[in-house]
Amino acid sequence: MSVDFRPIATSLMRAIWRWATLCACLIGSIQAVFSYFHVQNEFEMQVRDVGRSNIPLLSISIWDIEPDIVQRQLDAIAEKPQIGFVSLTVSTGQVFTAGESPPTDKRTAVRFDIPPPGRPAGHLGRLDIYENPQAFYREMLYNVAVALLGYGILTFLICTLVVYFLKRELADPLRHIARFVATLTPDRLTTPLKLERPDGHIRDEIDLVVDGFKVLQDGVNGYIANLDELVAQRTQELETAMLSIQHLSSVDSLTGCFNRRLFNERIVQELERAERYERPLSVAFCDIDHFKQVNDLHGHWAGDQVLKAVAGIFQRLLRSDVDWVARYGGEEFVIVLAETGLNEAVSTAERLRLAIEREVVFCNDKALNITASFGVAQYSEGDSVQVLLQKADSLLYVAKQAGRNRTLPSP
Amino acid sequence: MRHRLVLFVGLLLTLPAMAMSVALLNPGKADEAFWLSSARLMAQAANSLDIRFEVHYAERQHTRLLEIARKIIARPAGERPDYVVFSNDYATGPELLRLFDAAGIKTFMAYSGLSDPADRLAIGLPRTRFKGWLGSLEVHAEDAGYQTARKLIETGRRVGAAGKDGKLHLLALAGDRSTPSSHRRSAGMRRAIAEAPDVVLDQEVFAAWSKDKAAEQAGWLYQRYPDARLVWAGSDLMAFGAMQAWESRGGKAGRDAWFSGINTSNEAMDALKSGRLAALSGGHFIAGAWSLVMLYDYHHGRDFAEEGLELDQSMFASFTPRLADRFLERYGDMRFERIDFKRYSKVLNPSLKRYDFNFEQLLR
Repeated sequence: MSVDFRPIATSLMRAIWRWATLCACLIGSIQAVFSYFHVQNEFEMQVRDVGRSNIPLLSISIWDIEPDIVQRQLDAIAEKPQIGFVSLTVSTGQVFTAGESPPTDKRTAVRFDIPPPGRPAGHLGRLDIYENPQAFYREMLYNVAVALLGYGILTFLICTLVVYFLKRELADPLRHIARFVATLTPDRLTTPLKLERPDGHIRDEIDLVVDGFKVLQDGVNGYIANLDELVAQRTQELETAMLSIQHLSSVDSLTGCFNRRLFNERIVQELERAERYERPLSVAFCDIDHFKQVNDLHGHWAGDQVLKAVAGIFQRLLRSDVDWVARYGGEEFVIVLAETGLNEAVSTAERLRLAIEREVVFCNDKALNITASFGVAQYSEGDSVQVLLQKADSLLYVAKQAGRNRTLPSP
Repeated sequence: MRHRLVLFVGLLLTLPAMAMSVALLNPGKADEAFWLSSARLMAQAANSLDIRFEVHYAERQHTRLLEIARKIIARPAGERPDYVVFSNDYATGPELLRLFDAAGIKTFMAYSGLSDPADRLAIGLPRTRFKGWLGSLEVHAEDAGYQTARKLIETGRRVGAAGKDGKLHLLALAGDRSTPSSHRRSAGMRRAIAEAPDVVLDQEVFAAWSKDKAAEQAGWLYQRYPDARLVWAGSDLMAFGAMQAWESRGGKAGRDAWFSGINTSNEAMDALKSGRLAALSGGHFIAGAWSLVMLYDYHHGRDFAEEGLELDQSMFASFTPRLADRFLERYGDMRFERIDFKRYSKVLNPSLKRYDFNFEQLLR
C-alpha cells in the first residue's frame, strides 16, 4: 500500500463533510434569516402578551394610586428576559421606569394604553415596553445554534452510516478483490474469486466484477491451453519457411540446381573431405552449345526451357545422395562427383552428353535439339578449387574449340 | 401551715380593699399616638378606680400578642391579672379568647369586637362558649366618618366649593382594606355623601394610614379630578399628607380646598383651630378607659350586662375650634390626670343609670 493511498470511505467522508459544511452555512444563513423574523415575531407577541396581561392590574394600581405596586409590577415586567426597558407615563404626569437602561437607539416600543379599571372609556396612562436586544440576539443565536447542531449531528450520523455501509458493501470486497488479484499467479489462475457477502445479499456491482473476473480467468485459461498448440504450429510453419528460405538462398530458382554461392561453400568442404580421407573427387564443367542462338532465335522462355530440361537430365541420371550440380553461370553447370575417379567421371559426363543429345525440347510446337560440351578434371592433392575448376574449364574450352558436343578428355 | 394561716387571715382582712388587676394587650406601638393615649387614659382610669393596671405593647406584630398572652398565662396564679383587655386587631381575638379562657382569666374586648361571621360561629356570644369572656365595647367608627364627612360637606356648601357641574367633588383617603374600623369610617363617609345629592365622591383610595403615601396619592388625585375641593381622610395624618400635597401645588388648605381628619393629636387640634382642617372627630381612645369602668362595676357586683354584653358606642367627639382649645388646654400632651373616672362608675354613683361613652363629656 503506497503512502498516497486513501480509502474510498475517507474520500467520500471528506467530500460529504465539505458539502455538508457548505450546506450548513447555507442552512445556517436561511435559519438565521428565518429565525430573525420568527424571533422578532415571537418577541413582539411575548411583549404584547406581557403588556396585555399586566394592563388590568396596572390599571387598578394606577387607579387606586398605589405607586409602590405600580413600580413593583414594572420591575416584574422588566425582569423578563425579553424585555429591556419599561416606561409608564401616567396621564397625571408621573413617570415610572424599570429595566437596565433607557433605550438609546431608535427601536420602537410596543405601546399600550391603560384604560381605567372596569370602564371602556378614558385613559389612565401609557405603557411602553422595549425589547431587550441582547436577549433577542441571544434567542436568535440559540435558534441557529440548535438548528446547526441538529444538522451537524444528522450529517455525522449519515456519514457514519455511509462509511459503515461503504466499508461493508464496497471497501472490504474491493480489498478482497485487490488481494486476490495481487496474488493471482499462472498456477493459481484457476482458483475462483470467492467473496464473503452478508446473508440475504442481493447481487450488486461487486458481484458483476466477480463475474467479470470469472470470465477473464476462463478466457485466459482457454487462451493458455490453445497457446501450446499454436506455438507448435507456428514453429512448424517457421521451420518450413526457414527451409524454404534456405533452399531459395542455395538453389537456382529456374533449374533447381545449387547456385554459385552454395557451390563456393560446398566445394571447399568436398575438397577438404577428399583430402582428409584420400578419396577421389572429380568435377565436370558443362556448357550448353549454341545457347545464345536458342535465346536469340526462340526467346528467353525457350532458353529457360532448355536450361530446365538439362537440369532435369542431371537430376535423373546422377546419384542423388553423392553427386550434386550447381548452375555456375548463364548456361554453365558444374557437376561435382564425389568418390569418383577421372575415368568414371568421364563416363558419367559422356552419359549425360548423350542424354542431352537425345533430349528434345518443345517450344511453341517446335522441337529443339540441344547439345552440350563437357570438360572433366580429377582433383589432385594440393589442388585449390581454382586450380581444379581451371583444369576442367580448360578442357571444356578445348572441347568447344574441337567442334562441340563432346566430352574431354575423350572417354 | 403557718404561712397559709397568715395568708388566709390576710385575705379575710383585706378582701374588700384588695385591688382588682387588669392587663391591657396593646396591639400598637409604644410611641403610637392613638395607642399611647389609649393606654395613658386607661392608666388614669385605673388610678382613679384603684385598679392594678399593666400594659403590654405588641408593637403591631400580631404573633407578639399571642406570645404576651402565653407569658401572662404562664405566671403563678397570684400574679396573673384578674382581667385582660384586648382588641380584636389582626383577627387575633378568637385565639386570645381561647388561651385566656382555658387559663381561667376573664377577658374583655375593647375598640374592635368580633366582626367576622366565621369567628362569630366559632366563638359564639360572650359568657356562653367562653365563660370568661365578659363582653366587648366596640367603637362605633362609622360615626367618625359620618361626622367628619358631613361637616366637610357643610363647609363646602358654605364656601361654595362646587365644581363646574355645580356639585361638590369629594376625594377620600381611607386607611386600608383589611381593618374593620377603616371600613366603618369609610362607610360613614359614604352615608353622609348618600344623604347629600349635591356631592360626588370622585374616588376613594387607601393610603395605609401613612402621611407620605396620602400626600403622593392626593397629588395624583388632584390631577385626576381638578374639580375636587373636599378631601376626606380616615385619620389626621392622612389629612395632613393630602394638605401637604395641595399646598405643594400652590393651594392653601382651608381657603381653596377643605380637609377633614379623625383623631386627637395636638397637630390636628392646631390645624382645626387655624382652619386648615375643616372637620375633625376623635376621642375614641377612651374605649379602653370605659372598659375599665365597666370591669370595675362588674367586679364590684354591678354587671354591665343590663346595658348589653356587646356594646357598640360612638364615643367620637366632633371637634370645633373651641372644643379643640379646650382639649389642648385640658389634655394636651396626654395629660389626663384631671379626669376622675369615679364619676362614671355605677357602683360608686348608684344614681347613674346608664353609661355615657361619648368623649365630649370630658370636654364640658
